[in-house]
Amino acid sequence: MAPMAELEGERAFEARLDRLFAQAPAFGDADLFTLRVSDRLNRGWSLRAGLIGALGVAGGMVGVYQALESGVFARAETVSDRYGAAIGHAVDRVLPLNIALSGLPFAGEVLWMPAVLAALAVGYAISRAIREI
Amino acid sequence: MGASMTGVSSLLAAHDVDLAALSAGGDRRAFSELVRRHGSAVRGLLRRMGADGAAADDVAQDAFLAAFEQIAEFRGEGTFQAWIKRIAARLYARRWRRQSRGRAVAEADEPQASSAADEAGAAGRLDLDAAMATLPVPERLCVALCYGAGLSHGEAADALNLPLGTVKSHVKRGLDRLRRRLAPPRGDGSGDREAGDGAHG
Repeated sequence: MAPMAELEGERAFEARLDRLFAQAPAFGDADLFTLRVSDRLNRGWSLRAGLIGALGVAGGMVGVYQALESGVFARAETVSDRYGAAIGHAVDRVLPLNIALSGLPFAGEVLWMPAVLAALAVGYAISRAIREI
Repeated sequence: MGASMTGVSSLLAAHDVDLAALSAGGDRRAFSELVRRHGSAVRGLLRRMGADGAAADDVAQDAFLAAFEQIAEFRGEGTFQAWIKRIAARLYARRWRRQSRGRAVAEADEPQASSAADEAGAAGRLDLDAAMATLPVPERLCVALCYGAGLSHGEAADALNLPLGTVKSHVKRGLDRLRRRLAPPRGDGSGDREAGDGAHG
């Protein structure tokens, strides 16, 4: 019986120790501690956001540079001119009104607007991808 | 779970698991509420492990920042407090390992506040913090890791990079000392203040 009583005593003491450890002491500067952690968290977050933004811009610039290097815009412009003319002819045939599409700014300049938007989209997509990673 | 729960009063009323889910989505205010709720428990544990005030606060801050980084891993299987305590205890164990590498074992084995605690023990009942301070550092760490942070003996051995048998010996000796220190004085059967908050585990 004595060893059993000793074992029960040990278990009771361990349970008591668990309860004592579960009691959190009160700290007068608890709010200050929370503030410090929040500050460090926000600093780290801002740094990370800045880094992600910079990486996004750099990624977008690299993407645009690669696109320019590969001559994709020149090819797109050629294709655009060809299809623009074809569309113009088709419209001329379909529409009774004689609207001169060739007079509209439907050439290379127009392509730069979507190109810039595409570069921004690429940058945004890269920054989102980096953030997800 | 309220993904749209962004008001301060909502955060105050929210359950830890919901706050953790919001934090996982990048809500730093929700995480700050978790820090507010559990910061003292973590700081207290680190002090009981033997860290001085400044070191305990440094490690506690690091633990919360580490917890924010890996908050998606918290799935509410245990309590948030138990989870963050384990992170903090492991961080402190690592720090202790680094610092004690070049230090003599005999020095590390010395109790830190034995004389003061002896006097207090002679005068009457000790509280847990004072009783822990009477333990030699390895025993103190092992007891705090196993009973304060809820690590198994094996996990404590890994955290401290000590053999499992050594950790078990430290825990047993530490418990024996604590039992003597925390024994109620004769004629006073009231025991310790045991208003456990049930957050452990």
